[in-house]
Amino acid sequence: MTDTPAGPAIELANASRWYGNVVAVNDVSFRLDGGVTGLLGPNGAGKSTILHMMAGFLAPSSGAVTVAGAPSWRRPEMYRSIGLVPEREAVYPFLTGRQFVRANARLQGMTSADAEVATARAIGQVELNDAQDRPIGTYSKGMRQRAKVAAALVHEPPILLLDEPFNGMDPRQRLHMMDLLRRMAADGRTILFSSHILEEVERVAERVLVIVAGRLAASGDFREIRRLMTDRPHTFTLRSTDNRALAAALLREPTIGGVELSDGLLTVRTADFGAFSRAVAGVARRAGIRLHELRPTDESLESVFSYLVRR
Amino acid sequence: MNGVIAGITLRQLLSRRRTLLLLLLGGVLVLVALVFRLAGDESRALPFTAQLLANLGVAVLMPLVALLFGTGAIGSELEDGTAVYLLAKPIRRGAILLTKLVVASGCAILVTCGPMLLAGLIAAGGLGDGVVLGFVGAAAIGSVLYSALFVALSLTTARALVFGLGYVLIWEGVLSGLFAGTRTFSVRQITLAYADLFADVPPEVFDAQLDLGTASVMAAVVVVTATALAIRRVSMIEIAGETA
Repeated sequence: MTDTPAGPAIELANASRWYGNVVAVNDVSFRLDGGVTGLLGPNGAGKSTILHMMAGFLAPSSGAVTVAGAPSWRRPEMYRSIGLVPEREAVYPFLTGRQFVRANARLQGMTSADAEVATARAIGQVELNDAQDRPIGTYSKGMRQRAKVAAALVHEPPILLLDEPFNGMDPRQRLHMMDLLRRMAADGRTILFSSHILEEVERVAERVLVIVAGRLAASGDFREIRRLMTDRPHTFTLRSTDNRALAAALLREPTIGGVELSDGLLTVRTADFGAFSRAVAGVARRAGIRLHELRPTDESLESVFSYLVRR
Repeated sequence: MNGVIAGITLRQLLSRRRTLLLLLLGGVLVLVALVFRLAGDESRALPFTAQLLANLGVAVLMPLVALLFGTGAIGSELEDGTAVYLLAKPIRRGAILLTKLVVASGCAILVTCGPMLLAGLIAAGGLGDGVVLGFVGAAAIGSVLYSALFVALSLTTARALVFGLGYVLIWEGVLSGLFAGTRTFSVRQITLAYADLFADVPPEVFDAQLDLGTASVMAAVVVVTATALAIRRVSMIEIAGETA
């Protein structure tokens, strides 16, 4: 690694960012130091704005964003400590993968010989060896993504910021990238990546920051956040041969919080997603009722995030 | 001046299809010169060469080339997001900007002055008493001025091409013909004043409409102001994510 940051690697202190009347990030505070952290939230939640403030591309409208103890905005020397993988796909299409990664190494101030060695290492790390001499314009989305990651880690920065890094990767590449991130974190790096996919964060991050509508809705150990998400109230709608009888039978189950009958639909509320899912078929069979449809009504990631915000 | 940034910018500017179009435009200049030479009217060679280089070279080719290179040097990179790979490096943004400005100016000089030199040599049947080199030298100065102006414009507005074309066609093409005062703020007129100085030909061959003193002051004002503005803009520019 090129450098070890003094103080917390990254810190946001009551950071807000607005564009005119639109608040993109609202009074967010956290500090990161070592390990992999997932920045989780639906599209448009403010994840990219937070990452761009950390990367020194956006000034906070209020509050402070510091990297290695100093403000990130208008401090080019900070980039020796940071590797950045932007979300936007555009990469110079006329450069080969190797030229692109090497250019990034040279722009970090490496000598030609050092840049050559670092480029070979970074390309090997992302498994891009076979395509390294092809122009990036001919790359698939996943290959382009790997070239961007190689360029970000070519100078071995102690901090890595990745905006939706798994976009466009196939499952094998995804697993490889997750493994790479874990290994780099094990080396003592601070890694923050954004994602709107819960499973991606679950598989690689030790800590999670949940961003909803510009606010930090939850933060901490991933398992704790996962438990909160799983234990929240769930609602299902059912269609059956006899909704009224099914409602009566379900109400005898301890996991059911309430039922409602309307327009040929039975709506059931439960606090235990798993127990209800396992019990409902048996209850219907014992009551001699045939189930036509069982549908969770609020399983979108957005509704999960909204629940975390309301807590 | 950063060699890596210069190399990337050079390939970026010259690998575009529009560079080919600009070379074709330069080819038109050469073609007109060839047609004149084949017509064989030797007595008009000098004034024709001066008019060709002034009206097609300085007034059309030079601003169009500089407009495309100037607005493409950094503005298009900011637009498509590739600028992030340069800005996220331990290099002052002002140094990035200056490198790009030098490369854009160099490309503009190359693509403007090359065809002008060739067309001038053909039309005049040689150096034409200094007319050819005079106009080519002046076009090099004009290319730098235009490039600085258009680089600054591309950092000021997302519609730099439209405003740049408006300046060239309306301000320089129409208004400076109608109102003498507007010529002071015309890069084309500044360039022609230098062409007049370098070519050193009688007024019946070519006569600039702006005096050299004013042209020199305005050239300095344009290049210093535009460069300072561009450095300031690029230092303050913010880059938002795809989704806020």
